[in-house]
Amino acid sequence: MASEERTQELLKGLADAVVAFDEEKVAELSQAVLEEGVDAYEAVINGLAAGMVEVGALYDKKVYFVPELLLCADALYAGLDILRPHIESQEGAVKGQVVIGTVEGDVHDIGKNLVKMMFDAAGWTVHDLGRDVKLERFVEEQLKTDSDIVAISALMSTSMLAIPKVIEMIRARNPNVAIMVGGAPITEDVAKLYGADGYASHAGNAVQEAIKMISRLRELQKK
Amino acid sequence: MEIERHGAMPEVDNRKFFVIFQPSGRRGHIEEGKTIKEASRKLGVDIEGICGEQATCGKCKIKIEEGVFEKYGIESRMGHLSPIGEAERKFFKAQEQRDGYRLACQASIRGDIVVFVPEESRAGNQIVRKAATERAIELKPAVRKYYVEMLPATLDDPLGDWERLQAELNKKFGLGELTIDYQVVRELQKTIRQGDWQVTVSVWMNREVIKVEPGFIVKGYGLAVDIGTTTVVGYLCDLDSGEVVATDSMMNPQVVHGEDVMSRVSYTMSNEDGLEQVNQEIIGGLNQIAGRAAAQARIKRRDIVDMTMVGNTCMHHIFLNITPKYIGRSPFAPSLHHSLDIKACDLGLKISPGAYVHVLPIEAGFVGADNVGVLIAEEPYHQDEMALVIDIGTDGELVLGNREKLVSASCATGPAFEGAHIKYGMRAAPGAIEKIEIEPSTKEVRFKVIGKTDWNTDLEAVEAKGICGSGIIDAVAQMFRAGILQRNGRLNTDLETPRLRITDEGPEFVIAWADETTIGQDIVVCQDDIRSVQLAKGALYAGAKIMMRRLGVANLDKVILAGAFGSYIDKESAAAIGLFPDCALENVYAVGNAAGDGARIALLNVGKRREADKMARQVEYVELTVEPDFDKVFSQAMWFPHMKDAFPHLKSLLPEQVVQ
Repeated sequence: MASEERTQELLKGLADAVVAFDEEKVAELSQAVLEEGVDAYEAVINGLAAGMVEVGALYDKKVYFVPELLLCADALYAGLDILRPHIESQEGAVKGQVVIGTVEGDVHDIGKNLVKMMFDAAGWTVHDLGRDVKLERFVEEQLKTDSDIVAISALMSTSMLAIPKVIEMIRARNPNVAIMVGGAPITEDVAKLYGADGYASHAGNAVQEAIKMISRLRELQKK
Repeated sequence: MEIERHGAMPEVDNRKFFVIFQPSGRRGHIEEGKTIKEASRKLGVDIEGICGEQATCGKCKIKIEEGVFEKYGIESRMGHLSPIGEAERKFFKAQEQRDGYRLACQASIRGDIVVFVPEESRAGNQIVRKAATERAIELKPAVRKYYVEMLPATLDDPLGDWERLQAELNKKFGLGELTIDYQVVRELQKTIRQGDWQVTVSVWMNREVIKVEPGFIVKGYGLAVDIGTTTVVGYLCDLDSGEVVATDSMMNPQVVHGEDVMSRVSYTMSNEDGLEQVNQEIIGGLNQIAGRAAAQARIKRRDIVDMTMVGNTCMHHIFLNITPKYIGRSPFAPSLHHSLDIKACDLGLKISPGAYVHVLPIEAGFVGADNVGVLIAEEPYHQDEMALVIDIGTDGELVLGNREKLVSASCATGPAFEGAHIKYGMRAAPGAIEKIEIEPSTKEVRFKVIGKTDWNTDLEAVEAKGICGSGIIDAVAQMFRAGILQRNGRLNTDLETPRLRITDEGPEFVIAWADETTIGQDIVVCQDDIRSVQLAKGALYAGAKIMMRRLGVANLDKVILAGAFGSYIDKESAAAIGLFPDCALENVYAVGNAAGDGARIALLNVGKRREADKMARQVEYVELTVEPDFDKVFSQAMWFPHMKDAFPHLKSLLPEQVVQ
C-alpha cells in the first residue's frame, strides 16, 4: 500500500502530466497507481480529472486552445484506459449518466467529443450516440438507459433548428430529464428559447453545468 | 419567451444597445440616444452625408431590419429608434417609411437594431477585387449572329415569316432544324417589316433563334456572373471579340440575412417566404449589375443575348429558386450536378427576352459551380504538375491533382479571411489596413491602408478603420516571425514593447494607435483573433493534407491561390503561417478571381461548357469530416506553421527553431 505522501505525489504527477499532454507519462504513472495499490477511482478523480479542470481553466484564460485540448484528451484517455477497469462502484459523488450526440443533419463532433471526455474524466457513464443522430434515437436511448441528462450538440445554424423539436419529443416521453445544449451557433439566449435546462459555452463548463442541472432537478422532484 | 437584451442594464444611467451594420458586419454596443450616424462613425462604417447631419441632403438613408436575430441574441425593431420627425419624413414615401427607412443622422437609438446601409448611401465603395484577369480564350460563343435578306411575301408566295426565315438560314448558312423562342415569334412579323425583309438573327447553340433584329447588327454581348457569398460581379463581354467591355460588382444583397452560407440556408428554413426573399434579392442585384454594365458600355440591356453563372452550391440553388435546405444538412446532397440552360426571363432576369442563362455544373454539396469555374480556368487536368488550388473565400474549396486524377474538398473556413470574427476586421474598402510589416528586434509596426499609397509612417493623416483579410494574414505572419506570436498561437506576454497589452479579455498587440485611425480606438490584434485565424487556416491545411493522403502524394509542385482576395494575399505571409503544405515559393501563384474567369471562359467557348460538365463529374469529392482522424489532422494544422510537418522550402522565412 502506498503512503499518503506517495499517493499525493502520484495524483499530482497524473494531473501535471495531463496538463502537459504527456501521454507516456500519464500511462507510466497510471501503471504505478495500480502496482502500488493506490485507489484507482481516486487516481481518476483527484489525478486525471483534476488535471482536466486545470486544462479547462487554461482554456478559459486563452492559454490553451483546441489543439491543446485534444492533446490533453489523448493523455487523459491513456490514463482512463488503464485505470477504469479497476474502479469499484462508488457512492456519494454527484455523477450520473448522460446521453450525448450531435443532432440529425450535422456531422461535426470535435466539441461534442471534448464534452464527452469531460464527463468521462469526472467518472460519469456516457452513452455516445455519435453524430447525425436521428431525433428519435435521443428519446429511445434516454428511456433505455434512464440517463439523468441528454446533451445535444449542433455546429451549424441549419441543424440547430431541429433542437426545439427533439427537446419536445424527449419531454413528451419523460418530463424529468435535464436537457443541455451546446455548439457554435448556440448561445444562452438560444438555449432558453429552445426550452433547454442547461447550456455550457464550452466543454470546460459542461460538467459543472450538468451537476447544477441535476441538483435543480432533484430539488424539484423533492417538492 | 423573453429574449434578454444585450447589454441592457437597468438602473444605470448610460444604457447601451447592440447595433449591427450590414452589409459590412461591423457591430458593437452604442450608448442610448446616439444617432445611427454617430454609431456608424464609432464602428467604422461609412455612410454618405454632405449637409452636416441637418436632414437637408437626405443622403444618409438606411433601412432597419426587423426581426429576431438568434445568432446575436437580439431583437431589432423600428420602434427601437426615436420616432420619425417632420424634417425626416419628407425624404420618404409612405411605403418606404413602412419598410423601415430612416435618415441615419436623425434616428437615435433606444434599443438593439440591425441597420442595412443601401448601396446609394455607402460612402467609399468596396474595392472591386474581382477584376477579370487576362486570359487567352478561344472564341466559340453559344450565340452567333447571322444576317439574311429575304424576298417579301406576296400573293403568289404567301409563305409564313418564320418558314421564310428558316429557308434563308438553311440555304445561306446550312442551319436546318431550328426552333424559335416564343417572345421572338411574338415580335417576328413587325421586326421583319421594320428591317424591310433584312434582318440579323441570333442563334443559340445552332438550335434556337433567340433574337431577331432589323438590319445588319454585328455586335452581340454576353454577361458572365460570379455570385459569391460576399461579393457578386458581372463581366459584360463582346461576343465577337471576346473583350470585357464593362465590369460591375456589388455586395451580395443577401448578406443582410447572414454573412455565411449556412445562416442564409437557415434563414430560408425559418421564414416562410425566406427563399422568395433571398431569391428576389439576388435577382434584383443581378438586374442592377446588368443595367449598370450595359450603361457603362453604352449598350442596351436587350443587347445582352447570353449569360453564364457560377456560384457555390447554396448561391446556385437560391438563384434558381430551389430550396437550399437539403444542402444545409448531412449528407449535403445537391438537387443536381449537371449544368442547366434556363431562359433568363423565367428567372426574372432582364436582358434580351429570348436569352438563355447557362448555369455551370456543381461538383458536390459544398463544392459548387464556382469551383468548376476555377477548374476550367486553371486546367490542372491538362498538366503533369501536382497542383493544389485554394479558393480562399467564405467556403474554402480545394482541388488537388493533375492530369491523372483530381480530388476536391470543402473546408468551410468561414468568413475570418473576409474580416469577420476578427475584432477590428473589415472587408476590403478604403481605410482597411491591407499590408503590415513588423521589425523583429524593435517590434515596431508599419502598415499600408487601402486608399493611400504610402506607409502610415510617411503620412500625416493615416485614417485607418480596421484590418481586411490580406492585412490579417500579414499581421499573423509578421507577428509570428518577430517572436510576438508563438507556434501554438499564444501571444508572447514577455515582450517589452508598449504595443503588447494584457486586458480582461486576454493579451493583444497594437497595430495602429488611435490617432492613426478614424474610429478613436487603437486597432489591435487580440488573442481571440489569432484563434479565429488558427481555425480557418487549420481547416484549409487539414483539407489539403487529407487530400494529399487520399492521392498518395507527398509533395506539392504548385499552389494556386484563387478567390476575390487571392491576388492580394502576400504569398510569403500565407506560407509562413502554414496556410498550405510546403511548396517552393516561386511555384505559388495568385490568380485572382478564377471562378469569375471560368464564367467568362464558359460564356465565350461552348467547348469549355462540355469540359466543365465532364470535369465536374470526374473530380472526386472528399468529405473531410468522415476521415477518422480529422480532429487530429485539424488540430495539428492549427499551430504555426504546423505542429509536426516540415517546411524545407521556408527556411529563409521562418525562425530557426521552427523549421525542422
